[in-house]
Amino acid sequence: MMPVLDPAVIESLRQLTPPGEPDVLSEVLRLFLDDVPGRIARLRSAWQDGNAVEVQRAAHSLKGSAGNIGATDLLSVCRSLDDQGRSGDLSNLAPLVTALETEYAKVAAEIKSLIKS
Amino acid sequence: MPSLRVLVADDEPVSRTVVGAMLKKAGYEVAFASDGEQAWAQLSVPTPPSIALLDWEMPGLKGPEVVERIRARGDQAPTYVILLTARDSSADIVTGLKAGANDYVTKPANEDELIARVNVGARVVELQAALAERVRSLEEALANVKALQTLLPMCAYCKAIRNDQNYWEKVETYFHDHSGVSFSHSYCPSCYDRFVKPQLDALEDVTQAQRRQNGR
Repeated sequence: MMPVLDPAVIESLRQLTPPGEPDVLSEVLRLFLDDVPGRIARLRSAWQDGNAVEVQRAAHSLKGSAGNIGATDLLSVCRSLDDQGRSGDLSNLAPLVTALETEYAKVAAEIKSLIKS
Repeated sequence: MPSLRVLVADDEPVSRTVVGAMLKKAGYEVAFASDGEQAWAQLSVPTPPSIALLDWEMPGLKGPEVVERIRARGDQAPTYVILLTARDSSADIVTGLKAGANDYVTKPANEDELIARVNVGARVVELQAALAERVRSLEEALANVKALQTLLPMCAYCKAIRNDQNYWEKVETYFHDHSGVSFSHSYCPSCYDRFVKPQLDALEDVTQAQRRQNGR
């Protein structure tokens, strides 16, 4: 099974911290936890409103966040949502929205255990 | 030399922070904007950042729109702009470059690639600054040289030059006033034979005549 967060990406984030400065990795992971749930909520409500443009916009930004912390599975769900939103067809979106929330929960749990350690 | 300032504009805090940390690690000074309007405002101050990394998708002004505005302004020292984009189809890339971006980086950014591209930008910015400085000093030098007229009226006999105020000046004076050139006086071999030698000979004759007179 693939790790929830790509260890190579996590390691490279860890190494971004300059000597004597606050840890970049934990800052980025905390930002992720602060910022992403709001974007997921925005995507869900845009989907409920049938607003494909907003779905695409939210999916696109989530894709960036997921990619930056190496959340591989979450990234691929975001990618599909981005493509669906761009196509304008929201009819088959329900499983993807559910997958988005499930994958996010996994990533969040992983981040919390990383921050603690 | 002082480190260059780089603006990172991205509405998404995770990307913004990661890219900012990469740049800081590479020794750049970093400024942040969280949307296109903010980026535009920060690029519109008297001394804006030399390099800007603009996210393509931002609420309000998008990256390419910010670039278009900057380019429309025609700055003396234009900001080097790199678009950050998750789009990587060549049509999108062409759109971004046509809008006036210097380069693009696909997201999520690979640290080595991002820094290498920003370093290219830094070289361009430094080269541009050096050229601008050179042009400025040349313009200054030109302004100091009073224009030399292309057709100079010169006396065929004494070689005096008629100046703009209709006075006849010595060649030395004219050129000194119009170009800052100074002259040191000497003589060429043929003038030595024509003028200097006869004078020296004449002097020699006088001296010898005097000696003969005194010896008597």
